[in-house]
Amino acid sequence: MSAPVTEVENVSFSYNGLTVLENVSFTVEEKAFLAFIGPNGGGKTTLIKLLLGLLKPDSGRIRIYGTSPEKAAHRIGYVPQDVAINKAFPISVLDVVLMGRLRFHGKSRLSKADKKAARNVLEELEMLDYQNRRIDDLSGGQRERVFIARALATDPDIMILDEPTASLDTAGRTELYAILKEINKTKTIMVVTHDMMVLSSYVTSVACVNKNVHYHDDAEITEEMMQEGYHCPVELIAHGVPHRILKTHEDEP
Amino acid sequence: MIEALQFEFMRNALFAGFFASLICGVIGTFVVVNRLVFLGGGIAHAAYGGIGIAFFFGVPYIVGTLGFSLVAALVMTAVVLKAKSRADTFIGVLWAVGMAIGIILLDLTPGYNVNLMSFLFGSILAVPNSDIWWMVGLSMITVVSAVYFYRDMLAISYDGEFAHLRGVPVNLLYFFFIGLVAVSIVIIIRVVGLILVIALLTIPPFIAEKYSSSLLMMMVLSTIFAMVFNLVGLWLAYRFNLTSGATIILVATCGFFISMILDYLLPRNFVMRQD
Repeated sequence: MSAPVTEVENVSFSYNGLTVLENVSFTVEEKAFLAFIGPNGGGKTTLIKLLLGLLKPDSGRIRIYGTSPEKAAHRIGYVPQDVAINKAFPISVLDVVLMGRLRFHGKSRLSKADKKAARNVLEELEMLDYQNRRIDDLSGGQRERVFIARALATDPDIMILDEPTASLDTAGRTELYAILKEINKTKTIMVVTHDMMVLSSYVTSVACVNKNVHYHDDAEITEEMMQEGYHCPVELIAHGVPHRILKTHEDEP
Repeated sequence: MIEALQFEFMRNALFAGFFASLICGVIGTFVVVNRLVFLGGGIAHAAYGGIGIAFFFGVPYIVGTLGFSLVAALVMTAVVLKAKSRADTFIGVLWAVGMAIGIILLDLTPGYNVNLMSFLFGSILAVPNSDIWWMVGLSMITVVSAVYFYRDMLAISYDGEFAHLRGVPVNLLYFFFIGLVAVSIVIIIRVVGLILVIALLTIPPFIAEKYSSSLLMMMVLSTIFAMVFNLVGLWLAYRFNLTSGATIILVATCGFFISMILDYLLPRNFVMRQD
């Protein structure tokens, strides 16, 4: 039996003296489709930065495939938030995806094989026709596919996505989740989302992040989760069966 | 213009303009896409402290300015990487301190009076041969580095966090590239003055950015724009007996406004964006 994909044990993290995460523990199994939900400022992005090794926990231990996040970084495909990236940058779609092949063989330069790999991923995501377009000429949904392609080009075992659907309309979200479901056949997926649609038909587990983490091994949303974990208004699009309607928390705007 | 080429100073001016354009096209592109224009200005002005040191202590000009600017640039970079939100204040302080040190040291240097104007606007028509060789060497280093590290430069400029996760030594390369910026600025100041350095570093890449679908195309286009501005500026300066540095800046500024007007009149993505 191999080590679990991700083990988080008693992890705490504070920023400028403010506790962001406290005593967080959970385990993610192979091929899981895990959704991190929770209010803004609840620590979702911090948690994935810890998993990526971009931040170090104050205490506790994180293991990815039985090793440290830094050593496992090459096995994770990361899709950052769209807003975090300079949109007006003069870069083509193909060049963005080629970033995923950087240091793939330990070298600074890229080979023909790298270009071929990047084009293959673009083709899988039906974006090959756009390879020479500048990234800011694309729509939000197309841009998101390019970032997913860049992560896939690293040939990862885990995909970690930070709010991939934030700038998409409902149709775009449905398409994007269909893509993720396909990817989930071969890879573990962890996704930060505000979007409850994902819970209805795609995910295998849910983690509510609000300083603490409440981990649920199925996609059920329970009363307890609402009380303790998710203290913020929920935008629910009940898309799958059965429909689940969540109440908006009263003391939040 | 042709008859002007019989003068050695004119040929040197053209060479200097050519290499300055090449360096500015490559390095300026890095500066503009990384929003480092203010840092570039800081390095350029802090270089004045190096001039003061060079004259006061009697060390060669290039050692004084290069040493001082490199140290200032590396300190500024460290601050940018450590505390991004306060970086502009810190750069502003170093900017002023560098100039103040330079002026005080020149005051204290007996019997010598450097003309501040020539430092601000340079004297492209008085470029000595030795400086041309410095520029040739430097532009070689700049272009070779940019080509060799092109993918890394692109990656850390576009999304440094992702590059870091892929194992690219982001901070080390950042110091290296900003070191190149400092070296470029020092060499070019000698030729065209610090105002023209900032203008050449920013205006051509700014125009080129809109029409480029890649960083490489932006570098090539900025180099071409910078060369055109230099040539036209030099010709006007020669023809009407004007200060060359200031003329080149005004030509570049005209180019800047013409591109803005063209953007307004022509549909978006008119040129080269779609291939």
